[in-house]
Amino acid sequence: MSDVDTAGGMRRVRSVLQAASGGISRTKLLLVPLLLFDLLVFVAPMGYLLRISLAERSVGGGALQRGTWSLDGYQYLSDSSVVTTVFTWTMLFAVVATLLAVGIGTLYAYAAWRASGATRTVLLAGVVMSMFTTLVVKVFAARVMLSPEGVVNDTLLAAGVLDSSLLLVNNEIGVLIGQLYVVLPYTVLAVYSVLTGLDESLVEAANDLGATPVRAVREVVLPHAVPGMAVGGVIAFAWSAGAFAAPLLLGSTSERTVAVEVQSLLGQFNYPAAAALAVVLTTVVLVVLTLGIVLLRRRGGLRDV
Amino acid sequence: MRTVVELDGVRVEYGELVAVRDLSLSVRDGELFCLLGPSGCGKTTTLRTIAGFESPDTGQVVLDGRTVTSLAPYARDCATVFQDWALFPNKTVIENVAFGQKMAGVGKAKRRDQARDHLKTVEMGDYEDTRPAELSGGQKQRIALARALAVDPDVLLLDEPLSNLDKRLRETMQLEIKDIQERLNTPMVYVTHDQEEAFTLADRIGVMNNGRLMQVGDPETVYDDPVDEFVESFLGNSNFLSGRVVGSGADRRDTARRAVTVEFPGVGAQIQIATESGLTPGDDLTASVRPEIVELSPSPGETPTSPDGGTQEGTAERRADVEPDTTNRMALTGAVSDVVYRGSSIRYQVDIDTGEGAELSVERSVTRAPDLSTGDRVQLSWDTAAVYYFGPDGARVRA
Repeated sequence: MSDVDTAGGMRRVRSVLQAASGGISRTKLLLVPLLLFDLLVFVAPMGYLLRISLAERSVGGGALQRGTWSLDGYQYLSDSSVVTTVFTWTMLFAVVATLLAVGIGTLYAYAAWRASGATRTVLLAGVVMSMFTTLVVKVFAARVMLSPEGVVNDTLLAAGVLDSSLLLVNNEIGVLIGQLYVVLPYTVLAVYSVLTGLDESLVEAANDLGATPVRAVREVVLPHAVPGMAVGGVIAFAWSAGAFAAPLLLGSTSERTVAVEVQSLLGQFNYPAAAALAVVLTTVVLVVLTLGIVLLRRRGGLRDV
Repeated sequence: MRTVVELDGVRVEYGELVAVRDLSLSVRDGELFCLLGPSGCGKTTTLRTIAGFESPDTGQVVLDGRTVTSLAPYARDCATVFQDWALFPNKTVIENVAFGQKMAGVGKAKRRDQARDHLKTVEMGDYEDTRPAELSGGQKQRIALARALAVDPDVLLLDEPLSNLDKRLRETMQLEIKDIQERLNTPMVYVTHDQEEAFTLADRIGVMNNGRLMQVGDPETVYDDPVDEFVESFLGNSNFLSGRVVGSGADRRDTARRAVTVEFPGVGAQIQIATESGLTPGDDLTASVRPEIVELSPSPGETPTSPDGGTQEGTAERRADVEPDTTNRMALTGAVSDVVYRGSSIRYQVDIDTGEGAELSVERSVTRAPDLSTGDRVQLSWDTAAVYYFGPDGARVRA
């Protein structure tokens, strides 16, 4: 008896679902949980952030005035020369870090792909192992190594390469090295994963037809690696535009990124301005990435004859 | 005739494994040279050494009079057609074919025109802007061929190019490759494990085994005059009978010549072989009896003995009927143990009555196949002079 009830219940649930979906296919229905999850962890917090950025700043005590509407936060951003400088520097930093990460990451991934046996394992393990530690520990380790009395300077001085210590921290070089240390594993793995699908005999075929090793990379390996480079670039750019730990630990006051500035605005209890800056950064990153992907898709990789 | 490829004492080792041992060969201008051998015999490594993908541990590689042993592949004037074709997937058909000329610095319009000509050569003119992924196996094969021909190589190297195709297409492509080779007169080194393919294509065949070049010659020579037991077994599709030298002395028919008496326990027969080779009693000897020399006919009016050999009087007394004094034919009786229908031919497996009851295989084309079925009694005979004999080291024993 209960069996019949259950079956009937199931049928009813299904018919309700079908009515609600208005004839949407079952495959699309499967996306519903995913969309709900997206709504909960991405759309809702971003909406809340957007709402705060549009609130009025509270004058005495408290971070913002609830229930108010104002463009004060955005007004503050456009009035402040500091914010403009920080924003420009962050974008420049993100672009340089992305280009370097994709460039070095592709070379590294190509080296790992061409290597065999133990060499390949060591190269890949080196990348994966660095992901076992947390961000702050990694960046702090970089600081220790790069400091004027650190391993890098000591080694270079002992080897006679340098006459005096290089300043590798508290400047843009330090920030860049620290940030690359953070994002490189992702670009390497992104490129390596697509290279594993590349048939080695294609490189041989190119060599056989007269391509020098460099040209073979240009003609055969790079076009194949483009999707991986794009994914690696997206990760590197998004992460570098939002860089926080590396500029804070390895930079000075002139290497302030947007994330650092957001924190400082929060410290001044200017929540609407902090939220507005976060919204602007997120929007810019999304627009840049969308443009990049559209451009890449239209060109269809690095093809030519 | 001009030599386009010359290998001189080439040895290639991978750690412990010796892939190619002290191999020397020369390929003449305009010929199609087949390297034939079982998988793992070193034929592909030999080809890759010519192309420059492997560097020999010892020996020299000479291409068109120029020593190229230490030159990289891109600095050598040869082109390879790979087993899996290795077409560039992100380039169109014409971009693939024009690739070599692009690397050589030929201008875009010119190299595209040339590529078009080569596409016509392989009858793929309509596929210029297609991507390799959209092509069938046979079409990819043609593009790979056109791409290699487009660099106008001194020698074209083909590494089992047809092994990924089905039988019918393979046979069509064999004829096309031969046709193109004859038209363009480009020397080719063609690696294959398929003896039929080698016989169809080759001007000369080099048979390889275990890293060594066993024999080089035109197809008729390597088939009719094998120097070695391996060559015979790889090409001949033959029946092998192992025997042992039991005596030596003067030939019974021509007392001026030396001869050895050999016992073949498999068929329970002793025969005398005239030979000048230094075989002594106790030496192992192998006889290769090719199916085509065996006469096969039903036994006239004989009552079949029981299938398991009938009367058990001991193998030693069940001697075969060999009369070397009056005739040089070997005559045996047996029972058909299996009849295999193979389309255009029929293969009979025959259990010999005498000796240890060796099983011989005889193939006949359907039109002249005797009407036999399993269990039938048959007579077999062959001319002992048409049998190939191989000594203990595998080398041919000649009369």
